[in-house]
Amino acid sequence: MTRSGLRGLRAAALTGTLVFASGAYAAENPIKLGVLEDQSGDFAAATIGKVHAIQLAAEEINKSGGIMGRPLELVTYDTQSDNTRYQEFMRRVLQRDKVDVVFAGFSSASREAYRPIVDQFNGFAFYNNQYEGGVCDGHMVVTGAVPEQQFSTLIPYMMQTYGKKVYTLAADYNFGQISAEWVRKIVKENGGEMAGEEFIPLGVSQFSQSIQNIQKAKPDFVVTLLVGTAQASYYEQAASANVNLPMASSVNVGQGYEHKRFKPPSLKDMYVTTNYIEEIDTPKSKEFYAKFKAKFPSEPYVNQEAENSYLAVYLYKQMVERAKSTNRDEIRKVIATGDVCMDAPEGKVCIDPKSQHMSHTIYLAKVGADHSISFPKIWEDIKPYWLGEAGCDLTKKDPMAQYTPSNPPPKP
Amino acid sequence: MTGFLGLFRRLEGPQTLGRGPAFWALFALVLAGALAYPLFSDGYTVGNTVYFFVWVFIALSLSLIWGYGGSLSFGQTAFFGIAGYGYGILTINFGASYGFTWIALLLAIGMAALVAALLGYFMFFGRIGGVFLGIVTLAVTLMLERFMAQTAGPEWRIGAARLNGFNGMSAMPPLTIPWFGGPIVLFADVGLYYVVLAMLVLVYLALRILMNSSFGNVIVAIRENPERAEMLGYDIRKYQLITFVIGAALAGLSGVLYTVWGQYITPSSMGMTAASLPLIWVAVGGRSDLTATIIGTLVVLSGFQALTIYGSQYALVFMGVLLVLTVLIAPNGLVLGLITWVTKRVARRKQETA
Amino acid sequence: MDIATLVFSALYQFGDAFAFLVLSACGLAVIFGMMGVINLAHGEFIMCGAYVTAATVHAGLPLPLGILCGTLASACVGVLVELLVIRHLYERPLDTIVATWGLSLIATQGTLIMVGSTMAGVGTPFGSFQVGAYSYSIYRIVLFVAALAVLGALYALFNWTRFGVLARATIQVPHMAAALGVDTRLIYSLTFACGAGLAGLAGGLYAPTMTLVPTMGATFIMEAFVTVVIGGADVFLGTAPAGGILAIVKSGMTSWQGQLFGQIGLLIAVIIVVRVLPKGISGFVLRERT
Repeated sequence: MTRSGLRGLRAAALTGTLVFASGAYAAENPIKLGVLEDQSGDFAAATIGKVHAIQLAAEEINKSGGIMGRPLELVTYDTQSDNTRYQEFMRRVLQRDKVDVVFAGFSSASREAYRPIVDQFNGFAFYNNQYEGGVCDGHMVVTGAVPEQQFSTLIPYMMQTYGKKVYTLAADYNFGQISAEWVRKIVKENGGEMAGEEFIPLGVSQFSQSIQNIQKAKPDFVVTLLVGTAQASYYEQAASANVNLPMASSVNVGQGYEHKRFKPPSLKDMYVTTNYIEEIDTPKSKEFYAKFKAKFPSEPYVNQEAENSYLAVYLYKQMVERAKSTNRDEIRKVIATGDVCMDAPEGKVCIDPKSQHMSHTIYLAKVGADHSISFPKIWEDIKPYWLGEAGCDLTKKDPMAQYTPSNPPPKP
Repeated sequence: MTGFLGLFRRLEGPQTLGRGPAFWALFALVLAGALAYPLFSDGYTVGNTVYFFVWVFIALSLSLIWGYGGSLSFGQTAFFGIAGYGYGILTINFGASYGFTWIALLLAIGMAALVAALLGYFMFFGRIGGVFLGIVTLAVTLMLERFMAQTAGPEWRIGAARLNGFNGMSAMPPLTIPWFGGPIVLFADVGLYYVVLAMLVLVYLALRILMNSSFGNVIVAIRENPERAEMLGYDIRKYQLITFVIGAALAGLSGVLYTVWGQYITPSSMGMTAASLPLIWVAVGGRSDLTATIIGTLVVLSGFQALTIYGSQYALVFMGVLLVLTVLIAPNGLVLGLITWVTKRVARRKQETA
Repeated sequence: MDIATLVFSALYQFGDAFAFLVLSACGLAVIFGMMGVINLAHGEFIMCGAYVTAATVHAGLPLPLGILCGTLASACVGVLVELLVIRHLYERPLDTIVATWGLSLIATQGTLIMVGSTMAGVGTPFGSFQVGAYSYSIYRIVLFVAALAVLGALYALFNWTRFGVLARATIQVPHMAAALGVDTRLIYSLTFACGAGLAGLAGGLYAPTMTLVPTMGATFIMEAFVTVVIGGADVFLGTAPAGGILAIVKSGMTSWQGQLFGQIGLLIAVIIVVRVLPKGISGFVLRERT
């Protein structure tokens, strides 16, 4: 980071004078991409891969001539899983480094910490992470999956396969509560019933009581929306208490590769809807995985956030080239046409102009007793429909807010 | 008139470092530098300096309670958070017009002080002291954190303000000065810089006066030997309570300014890590002096930020090593240690020449 | 549901909470409770024990031997830390906050850099058993027994052995002990190592049941401090009853109202106990000594 930081400083001195540069001068005038991700602290396990994916994409793009002939330059800071660092460095990349775009954030709290700053300085940020959904903000593009994409596929499948009694075990904060709300809604729509719901404060690592509650409720399957490394201890503890129920999740495996970290069979019969994991067996996916491993041989796992980050760089390239500018308003005009799409490692993805979220290919990953992955089902082109239906339309109005199903956008 | 002059005389005394024309000349020089500095700097640097200043108040609060008063409070972040959330709730509900943000600032600090008064009464009049005080205050701040983290649901709202759980509350208006021809909104830039700088100078001078007054002397006496102070006829519980409330108000000011700076406040600001950081800043600088606390806090904050920017993945390791070395090499804190070392050298030289 | 099942389940939950509180707290009870070192790196000693245990198990050792290795490794690190840092700070215990916070930063990030962001788990041994409608993990019972054993061993160590008596004497009146010919430096080192080793033991015991990441120590630290502080200075007479009281509150509140209330209840219990017994539980039990 020292090197990229210094380069950033030098380049900052150069920009400004070269705004109208074309062709000949272009190599002197890089497009700057800020990267704020947690490379240390609590979330490091899931996010170091995102930084590597961005580095990989930038290297590929620069090798093949950059964006409109301009090289792509990364300005990277380690946010240490700390919200205040996001606030400090978001101001830094926008004001000091004057980047054209920022790729930032893992936890929703970190995103909400930096979002007011992006809005204030009229920046442009990509949040390449699966999350609880609902951000309706013209300054943001979200490439991660949202609940309607993951649950409208996962829950009906699980109910058909295993039965209609559902127990939700969720992290007790925004992501878990809102995801649980989605599960409740979809279970009801499909004629099922909630056998129970339990929320676990972040950082809790002991689950004996929850395990007993689940056994008492006798559900057909358990939806585990557990977040963070401490909460992941649930699986080992549930397995050792022989709970032996099928599990469904939108966060595990695809993000924290628990099936690689725990000893089999603690994640047996876990079903996860994810838009990418390294086991996906398509030519596109294999090619991406091979490139990733060639550049970062010691990477423990290539997760969905890594793929989101990788494809986001290419999406940004496409937007800039079509807008012929890095200006956010020009780029949003391109997004508004509704055909910003690409063939990503997961399959075809498109940006939805109303919410600036992304459609995904959703893979149902099943963890076997030996922790191998199989894909019983694949859904193509699953759209992030909720925000648009609820009344968020960024092509018309930019409220710069986050909504939830129980707190939807105000009706016009 | 004499009373007023008396206050000025209290600006220096046995409880604070620095006295005489040389010190105040240096103070004026630093102040002039601080006032002129935005003219030579860019918006980012100024905004970033405001950010550092914001944390100085909570450090001062700890210097007051712990350094001078001898009561280790591990939970100043509780008051930081209460005031931060208080400001958010008030301004989101009542807006920023007619200078209401300033009333909200005062009310939010008042809330923190009120909670501190209740908690302080419970602790000091219950004769809780030493490490037990630390654990009770820590328990309070962790409780607030855990509670606020789960308030994501729509039922957790106060008026128009949603608490919004772990993701934190945002979109509160920044401090706004009503002015002819449109209010001045103080974003984290030059405007806010001068306001916060003014507050910092005022608080610093006021605390100097307070600490060199008879009140301050009693506080230090309680730190040195509570039994003796009590035998001398002072109700030490009352003194400790008042110190604690003043400290909480300062921590609250810090919280409001932080909320204003980033238009954001989160439960993590009251968590374990957040709670320990002020202890680190204060201890590194030298907790038993106001000036040392301010310098130490600014040095640690900017040093750690620079390490994070330029130190790659080793940043946190470096920070750790620096902290350990500081404690081993400078027992009274970096700044206090340096000042004592320098004054000793100067004294020795004087002796030699004499 | 019959009464026996209910009673057993309540006992199991209590035992589970008790084991977690006591095992996380024991090492700290020695280092903080006895020696007065505010050890914010306590969680990292636990992490060290867990990592070494997992690594040795991956290398092919059976789990009990792995836990022993983890304990010893933590104790060795403890000796090193005492020698290099803590030794110089006994005169000013408050400064240990900064030093151990620094050590904890070094340990967490150092582990991340050297070992990587995660480590593969080792799996929980022994399987499960059934009582009534519920099945339980046998290993959890092992943890409870281990907690009792550790308490017993500590009591024996500090009351019946020469080292224990010397350690208590040294820590209470160091110059007196030194005058009587005790090598106080050695005693301090060994006591600190003992505390670090106990933390490592907790890490090793919980390693099979948890996610292994560099920051895993953080999940233990609050429970540990709370238990030790309300327990007071005596390891056996303080930590054990404190663990008992807090475990009842925590498991009761958790089963009644959920995990959040379990945690908040724990914190409220701490505040109340401190208010009622300002010198901690052992201070109350041993009124004449304090």
